[in-house]
Amino acid sequence: MADLASKLPLSPAPITPEQLEQGSSLWSDAWARLRKNKLALGSLFMFILIGLFCVVGPWLSPYDSQAQNLFAGAEGPSADHWFGTDTLGRDLMVRVMEGGRISLLVGLVATSVSLLIGVVYGATAGYIGGKVDAGMMRFVDLLYALPFTIFVILLMVAFGRSLWLMFVAIGCVEWLTMARIVRAGVIDLKKQEFVEAAVSLGLSNRRIILRHLIPNVLGPVIVIATLTVPAVMLLEAFLSFLGLGVQPPNASWGVLINEGQQNMEIFAWLLIFPAFFFALTLFCLNFLGDGLRDALDPKSAGD
Amino acid sequence: MSAAIGDPATDFLVLQDVRTHFDLGRDFLTRQSKGVVKAVDGVSLTVRKGEVLGLVGESGCGKSTLSRTIMQLIRPTSGQIWLEGEELSAISDQDIRETRKNFQMIFQDPYASLNPRMTVMDTLAEAIRTRHPGLNAEEMRGRVSDLLRTVGLNPVQMKRYPHEFSGGQRQRIAIARALAPEPKLIIADEPVSALDVSIQSQILNLLKRLVREMGLTMIFISHDLSVVRYVADRIAVMYLGHIIELGSAEAVVDKPLHIYTKALMSAIPLPDPRAEKARTRIILPGDLPSPLNPPSGCVFWPRSPVEHDERLKTVPPGFAEVYPDHWAADCPFCVEKPA
Repeated sequence: MADLASKLPLSPAPITPEQLEQGSSLWSDAWARLRKNKLALGSLFMFILIGLFCVVGPWLSPYDSQAQNLFAGAEGPSADHWFGTDTLGRDLMVRVMEGGRISLLVGLVATSVSLLIGVVYGATAGYIGGKVDAGMMRFVDLLYALPFTIFVILLMVAFGRSLWLMFVAIGCVEWLTMARIVRAGVIDLKKQEFVEAAVSLGLSNRRIILRHLIPNVLGPVIVIATLTVPAVMLLEAFLSFLGLGVQPPNASWGVLINEGQQNMEIFAWLLIFPAFFFALTLFCLNFLGDGLRDALDPKSAGD
Repeated sequence: MSAAIGDPATDFLVLQDVRTHFDLGRDFLTRQSKGVVKAVDGVSLTVRKGEVLGLVGESGCGKSTLSRTIMQLIRPTSGQIWLEGEELSAISDQDIRETRKNFQMIFQDPYASLNPRMTVMDTLAEAIRTRHPGLNAEEMRGRVSDLLRTVGLNPVQMKRYPHEFSGGQRQRIAIARALAPEPKLIIADEPVSALDVSIQSQILNLLKRLVREMGLTMIFISHDLSVVRYVADRIAVMYLGHIIELGSAEAVVDKPLHIYTKALMSAIPLPDPRAEKARTRIILPGDLPSPLNPPSGCVFWPRSPVEHDERLKTVPPGFAEVYPDHWAADCPFCVEKPA
């Protein structure tokens, strides 16, 4: 066949971009469904509010999170200090905001790291298959079998304590689940005819994985990611609680809750305020994840 | 070897003794071989430029494996395939990507053959780019519009997604995608069997028109004989990995030679109720044998109403030209020789 265009009937007027009907992608359909879910949308809104509170708050507050005032030590909520002060006289509200920055940062960065590694690794293993797949997944099994706490303690001992190391440590653990989910999804998709069609066109493996496979497994991945963020934040709280994570005078919600529970019988507000924000964030993310799952895969929505 | 094979240097598509076997591997504990599925077992065939070759056979006879072998989606276990003098079966796995645009496939299920996350425009542009990598946005839009008009769709819908189209429209998009790289050969694997009957004829007419107007060559696979008779110039009948009859569509449908083809033809329902009542059906005993353990000799002997002799139960028959350009398995028990 020489040239297709020469054999086609002469086209009438060329189509201009303005004439095109815009289609609605599966993403925009999912967004429309999510918008109808009041709980999920409220959660998203609340999560953004908490984020703004933590990020912008410290700049507006007259207090410094690390400035001690031993004369004002451990006072309950008042007009000056809305959340009260801790035993060293530091304003708790600023500390909750700054702790939130770190907790949210850990949650988002570690989740992104796990997302990136997990999706690429899982998609590659699933698409190539065979011995490569078996080898790659046995490596995942191996990491799964490693006790997490010992792994983190080893890292901390070997490289010293740092926030970035904690991102790496948590990311290294969380990507395993992601990789398994993506691999399963890709193996499922690989048999679909549109992937065969892409192979028939002579597209590169890279392009097939990036354009045809990953966008189609992203739905469940996004859901898992929103549920991973709170899991990661809990891990960070756990590590900080053990003294392996964020170190004083820096604060994270985990650190603040730890400090609060030591004095909770006398200065209850030291536990209540950070715990409230932490719990609220976890609730929001879980509801959002639930809502996203229903929106992205309406067939699975239970009701 | 039969003379049904043409000359690889001059003929359009030539298959010589193509075999596609699947090794099931060994049992984990006993290390015994689980066997080899002989899905395509010695197919020799020539497809002429500009014709539609119908490939018929019941489920599990190897039609789809043969089509995927020609497409090089599955590499043949042995045998050669030439397309316009180029031996496809000899191209390495790395280099085959460059050649793929020359043969395209239309798949059975239009709901699975289009990427749900890509617009029609993106799907077609990706296919066009394999042949014309350097088009700008406006040229690409023009080509996509032309393609959509060719398959009978409105170009203003190019930014829409597959789920916004009906099954018949999606199959038209899939056809446009197969045309986009300007292939020499198109393989249509049961392109209408997933569609509503009322849509089937529209798609068949579209395919017929495209073949005629664009000078395409097509292999049309179906288990529905009435559909194949309508579109095909020649028909090849496949049974258990072998081609057992090959001839012009009229010859195969009206004067079938092989008893299996006769049984297939007798299974077509007739539209006229009186003729339908008078139709005598040839009922074959038994089921399609497993390709794991195919019969030796003439593949059809276990199901043939005519008892085969010992020689044809062990020695495979060749392929003979019974009438000019009408070939059949060279088995005197399955095929009635002209007097």
